[in-house]
Amino acid sequence: MKILIADDELPARSRLRNLIDDLQAGEVVAEASNGQQVLNLCQEDNIDIVLLDIRMPGMDGIETAHHLKKLENAPAVIFTTAYDEYALQAFDAHAIDYLLKPIREERLQEALNKNQRLSQAQYSALEKTSKKAAQHISARVQGGLKLINIDDVIYFHAEHKYVTVYHQAGQVLIEESLKSLQERYQQNFIRVHRNALVAINQLQTLNRSNIGHFTLSLKNSENTLEVSRRHLSSVRKIMKALSV
Amino acid sequence: MKLTKQQSDALFLPNFCSLRMVFVVVIIAQLFAFVLTLAPLSQPSDIRWQNLGLISLFVQWCALGSATALCLIRAWLYRFSNTQTAVISYLIMLFVIIIISEGTFWLILRFDMNSQQHWNFLLRNFIVGAIISGPVLRYFYVQHQWRRRIQAESEARLQALQARIRPHFLFNSMNTIASLTRSQPKQAEMAVENLADLFRASLSDARQRFTLKEEQELCQRYLQIELLRLGDERLKINWNIDSLPDNALIPALTLQPLLENAIYHGIELLTEGGTIEINGELNDKQIEISVENPLPTSAATAHQEGSQLAQDNIHERLQTFYTRHAGLSVETQDHHYKVTLTFPYQTEQDEDTDS
Repeated sequence: MKILIADDELPARSRLRNLIDDLQAGEVVAEASNGQQVLNLCQEDNIDIVLLDIRMPGMDGIETAHHLKKLENAPAVIFTTAYDEYALQAFDAHAIDYLLKPIREERLQEALNKNQRLSQAQYSALEKTSKKAAQHISARVQGGLKLINIDDVIYFHAEHKYVTVYHQAGQVLIEESLKSLQERYQQNFIRVHRNALVAINQLQTLNRSNIGHFTLSLKNSENTLEVSRRHLSSVRKIMKALSV
Repeated sequence: MKLTKQQSDALFLPNFCSLRMVFVVVIIAQLFAFVLTLAPLSQPSDIRWQNLGLISLFVQWCALGSATALCLIRAWLYRFSNTQTAVISYLIMLFVIIIISEGTFWLILRFDMNSQQHWNFLLRNFIVGAIISGPVLRYFYVQHQWRRRIQAESEARLQALQARIRPHFLFNSMNTIASLTRSQPKQAEMAVENLADLFRASLSDARQRFTLKEEQELCQRYLQIELLRLGDERLKINWNIDSLPDNALIPALTLQPLLENAIYHGIELLTEGGTIEINGELNDKQIEISVENPLPTSAATAHQEGSQLAQDNIHERLQTFYTRHAGLSVETQDHHYKVTLTFPYQTEQDEDTDS
């Protein structure tokens, strides 16, 4: 069994390594100190289990689990935490296994035996209780996972089954629905049409065509977007607020 | 017999042996003497003034006599309940009034009065004394209750505001110690000692003040534990408080929670870590200490919300200790978060003269 230990604290990592050695439960193939490293390591190697600390700088454990799920050979995830009220409530409510630090040997053994993979329902429940939305959008591309920082996204556009993410360095297809993206990023994004969700800080001008249609031009994109009547008033309201 | 502070607090009568109380008694007695002089309806003003002198003298004798008696038996009184104390002091006051009335009769009035008038005089004084003493005792009782309530409230508030060891820090430290026990037992030992010191400080009396030197030592114990956990690559500390006097007093555990905030909401969220700057200045008898930490790009608001509780507590504590001239202010700038404490420069000598 190949195990990856992810924790930003060195003593926490070495303790887990010691415990796993004692149990002879598997082989610790790598250590990571943030979520980004976990994703990279899991793409390079076939990892069976990730021991994932919730509180890490950069990308935290909950967001990392969300992206990990998209990998082809997604590893099982065991969360570890010293104290995190909100996450613990979610874990308990949705039967997600977790380990409390300092971790007991028996508990670790138990969790490793379970080899639990998060279901979609469990993940969404976890995400809802998490205080902040995932900072990255992840897309499955050839050869692995591509991460786009949410701050770099200009807009999301839905076509057929897929959503295209237009960001500062190009575009990429993802499988999430506009509706769930809108729910998650409602603070910084606004729906302008049934098929488009736009970053509020990218709004430039609202134009009216000869035939009475409204279009939106954006700061960092050549493309113009159609604004539907249904969303017109909320777009106007937010642009007015921005110009003040 | 000298009373302990606790015994003295339990007694509702104020301490009549104190100079301040003697002064209060004289004022109350004199006001009462004015009332007695002004009360009779038709009286020529020269007689009224003459009477004022005599009445004042008499009333002051009664008042100060009662105060002296109560002062003398104060140590004996505390063993009784409030009701018993009230009855005893009431009787004592009446007894003093009768004695002084009788004395006045023998010294001044016995040539002008027959025995009928003598008894009238005693009875009148007794009734007036009985009517006045009751409300006076009641006034002392109510005032005592009021003062005790205020004291209890501020004590409770201080207790509630006092910095507590946070669970996040505690469990992470335990985990660090569990890990080090195997690989570096010496360091594990040191971490346990430091943790014990921090705990002891957080359990101490809420009114306690440390010298800046002591508080800094405590902060360093705390930082040593965090350094074991985060490593000196991620956590760097820059102390710059040499210009502050070592003997200045600071409410215990005021600076430490600010460092904890700086680590929890700042350093820990940065992949690269960062430096916490602690700067101190003494300006015109005011001490100013600031704690500054870098912030991750997206966390400026989260920091503010997260640290709010601890900061509000510190602000309230400073206000409770120093009323005005003390406080806490926050600035966020260019992904840097800075909290500044201000409070008056006081030393232990100041504290002794205060109480």
